[in-house]
Amino acid sequence: MAGIGWKLQRLIDRGSLAGTIGAYLTGVAVTSAPWLLTTAVLTSLRIVARRSGTDFAIVERFLTLVYAVTVILSAPIHVVVSRYTADRLYDHHLEKIGAPLRRATAMVLVGFALCGVLLVTLLKLPLLLAVVGAPLTAIIGAQWLMLSVGGGMTSPMIVMRAFGIGAPLSLVFAWMLDTTVGLGAAGYLYGFAAGQLATLAILVQGVARAVPGDADESARLAPAFREYRLLALSALAYYVSIWADKIVVYLVLGGTAATFYAAIAAVAWFSVIPAFAWIYVQIETSFYRRFRAFYADIEIGAPLRRLQQGAEEISAEARRILRGAGVVQASASGIAIAAAPFLVHAVGLSPNATPLFRLNAIGAAAQMITLLEVLLLYYFDLRRDALVISAGLLCSTVTLTLLALALGRQPVLGYLLACLATSMFGAVLVRRRLSTLMLDTFQSQPFGVS
Amino acid sequence: MKSLEADVCLLVEGTYPFVSGGVSSWVHDIILGHPELRFAVLNVGSHPGAYGEPRFQLPDNVVGLHRVFCQETARPPLDGAARADLREQIRRLRTTVDTRARPSRVLAGLRRMHLDGASDSEGQQSILDDLATNDLALDELLYGRASFDLLTQLSDRAAAQAPFLDLFWHFRAIHVPMLRLLAAPVVPAACYHAIATGYAGLLAAVWSRRSQRPLALTEHGIYAREREMELARADWIREAAETDDGGFGLRTATWAPHVSPLRKIWSGFFRALSRLAYAQAGRIVTLSECNRGKQIADGAPAAKIEIVPNGVDLPDDAPVREAVNDNDAPDEGLIELHPAPLRVGFVGRVVPIKDLITFIRACDLALHSVDLQVRVIGPMDEDAAYATRCRDLVARLGRGAKIAFVGPMPPAAIYGDLDVVVLTSFSEGQPLVILEAYARGVPAIASDVGACREMIEGRDAADRELGPSGFVTRVATPKETAAALVRLASDPTLRRRMGESGRRRVAAYYQRRDMLASYRALYAAMGAGDPSIEVRGVMQQRQRGAGTL
Repeated sequence: MAGIGWKLQRLIDRGSLAGTIGAYLTGVAVTSAPWLLTTAVLTSLRIVARRSGTDFAIVERFLTLVYAVTVILSAPIHVVVSRYTADRLYDHHLEKIGAPLRRATAMVLVGFALCGVLLVTLLKLPLLLAVVGAPLTAIIGAQWLMLSVGGGMTSPMIVMRAFGIGAPLSLVFAWMLDTTVGLGAAGYLYGFAAGQLATLAILVQGVARAVPGDADESARLAPAFREYRLLALSALAYYVSIWADKIVVYLVLGGTAATFYAAIAAVAWFSVIPAFAWIYVQIETSFYRRFRAFYADIEIGAPLRRLQQGAEEISAEARRILRGAGVVQASASGIAIAAAPFLVHAVGLSPNATPLFRLNAIGAAAQMITLLEVLLLYYFDLRRDALVISAGLLCSTVTLTLLALALGRQPVLGYLLACLATSMFGAVLVRRRLSTLMLDTFQSQPFGVS
Repeated sequence: MKSLEADVCLLVEGTYPFVSGGVSSWVHDIILGHPELRFAVLNVGSHPGAYGEPRFQLPDNVVGLHRVFCQETARPPLDGAARADLREQIRRLRTTVDTRARPSRVLAGLRRMHLDGASDSEGQQSILDDLATNDLALDELLYGRASFDLLTQLSDRAAAQAPFLDLFWHFRAIHVPMLRLLAAPVVPAACYHAIATGYAGLLAAVWSRRSQRPLALTEHGIYAREREMELARADWIREAAETDDGGFGLRTATWAPHVSPLRKIWSGFFRALSRLAYAQAGRIVTLSECNRGKQIADGAPAAKIEIVPNGVDLPDDAPVREAVNDNDAPDEGLIELHPAPLRVGFVGRVVPIKDLITFIRACDLALHSVDLQVRVIGPMDEDAAYATRCRDLVARLGRGAKIAFVGPMPPAAIYGDLDVVVLTSFSEGQPLVILEAYARGVPAIASDVGACREMIEGRDAADRELGPSGFVTRVATPKETAAALVRLASDPTLRRRMGESGRRRVAAYYQRRDMLASYRALYAAMGAGDPSIEVRGVMQQRQRGAGTL
């Protein structure tokens, strides 16, 4: 229960409805604000563009691809950097964070700029769009990196402020450049990029304040990539799985169908926000407390009975969170399914999207539960198991989406079945691993190591 | 060295030929004293690299020197990815192990060793049969569910309040050496002779059981008792103590007013090892009546026990020196007394069990009253930290000019320059140092451990009639040792009389030839020996001078 965990616990401990709501809203802000605001901006831009008669499709397709590529490629970096940062915070070596972070930022900017160049070339964007397309890719990639560090080192308010300011600015600049300067589609992209640049600037400033000035220039991030390679692969597989069905649709049915499909999925994903926030609050408070207590008991020399009790409490807590997340998610999904026609209309999608949206919402719910299972396995450093689940989700999503398309069915059916199957497999795996927590905790200690 | 089947396989723990000291010298002497027999030596060591080169030149009748280690060399720490790999290996291993057709007999034997208490001889032999199957792989012990179940049973039954993390590591530390030993290939021999219980005794018992060859056991010190004394001072045993707020804190178990459960488990384990060796051994040899009593108390059948004291050769050139007292004309055969200062020797390894600290403090106290010239004779590399502590103490007391650390010396060169030998050990068997000193007419001051009292005051009425050959002091009492030194320094006549008593005592009870004859008979009874064997060069090495103290 790092800084944010204590704050959440204090809010909950007040015992008032306001305190509890405040805790869960904080959870929403921390877990979902960046993509919520970004998705809201993109959706708003689509609506604004439609009203002004501007051809927003090419911009939307490009931005969808930019987010897909940056999210996927950032995932392993995100996990390793955040883990490296957490380790340095734990061992009180904050001076080892600054230098690797600077180098990583430079590499991410260059790397994603090259990705951007590749994307604008593949999409054959006009020069006016291409000029800003490549830097925008680098900006988004750098945002993810800053989020990975900022989540552990800075106040969630900095992240909130960055996206809270950047997102409206994107919208305002885009609208101004379209309507005032008359740049059309290019105006939307330039405006959006300007807002995202502001977001990045605020994030960089916040992280820079948190990182100590006296940096250890000899600190290296590369060994962390070796050590956490299974975590990195797991994160990569999970994030690819989020986009895998869309990529399959893009490759099989083409860009227009994929954009439509991705837009539905993006909206459906809003239904996981309550469960995501609930999971975040539960893991950061009660689960973390039991988790820490168990390991602290081991270290301070508690006898077997007390440790067995602690292990049982952790196991029960994990089961409770899985059940609770299921209930919260089922409620949110139920509401989303019931309100599907309204939601689809509100975000500017055609009424044909309604049944697809419903199926996507169920799939997203299962994928959220899978994410919780992966997070629980991360907690116990069961990184290989986490990789198995993530890779399983990816493989089944690709296979079943392709199968659905081959059988002439909606691709979302493949995605839905993959997510359901993986979440059930994950639940079984988590339960089994927790049942041997005592055994694994002790016996995984290597023998004969100095 | 020939690779022939040995007549006798001697099993030692940590001593011969890599460590100098009383037991090693004794083993060397036994081998030299039986040139007609072929010996194999099995040395149970702690880990590779723990000992340097052999301190003894192996006699020609040693046909094999074998080594088994309780631990392997430590490996570098694992990173997170390697731990994940290990975890995966463990899981695969568990899948195999948990579905094995029959549960491990070794594990069953360990369970009975720990949880069933002292059983009769048949029970012990049944445990040995289980252990002899060697059907528990090291990985299975470290990572198997069944071994973890045994650990939790042990916790419930014997250490419910002990820090479980500590118990877990102690459990591994106790059993990993056992499994490594059980997996060692049997050294073929006509009979086995363990020179202690403990790990060497266990291995000898298992080999004897497997090969159906007889086993003899000689205990110099009482292994289980010595380990208990070490455990009492062990700062690596911690104990959980509940704090006022209901939490737990850890203290070293030496602090506790009661015996910690972990110490009890270790102690019980060492006693169990002794019981196994006692049960399997056909003959148990001990050095003194005092030790015999302890062995019986620890479960050794009285009928098996035989007392064979250590022995030394009486030098042909018996020291005849001038007395210092002008009034005492030197009688023929009387021991020469050296004028002041009194030449005091501590002869032995500089290790904690010898309690050199008490010796140094005693000398310091005595130096306030009499003049002494003190020499510490023995190797100091076995526990360098302790040796440094002793040197620092001498420096702090300002006795550098009076107390010298001279290192190891050949036994023949030691006693001619000493007036008294002092032993302040926490534990001893029957110290050869005292016998060697007696043989040269040098009296001894020794702590009341092992056979020291009967060596100094006599073991029976006839022996006591020879008179005391020194002073017995309580363990860790510098004042008593100092008082004895002052008396000997102030009373040359007493010193001479005690030296003479010692020499007579050796002549009557502690002759090397008697000891060797007893062992020759023992080996013959166990079917070892082929009279036609002659090993060249052995007779030339009969002097124990091949080794140094």
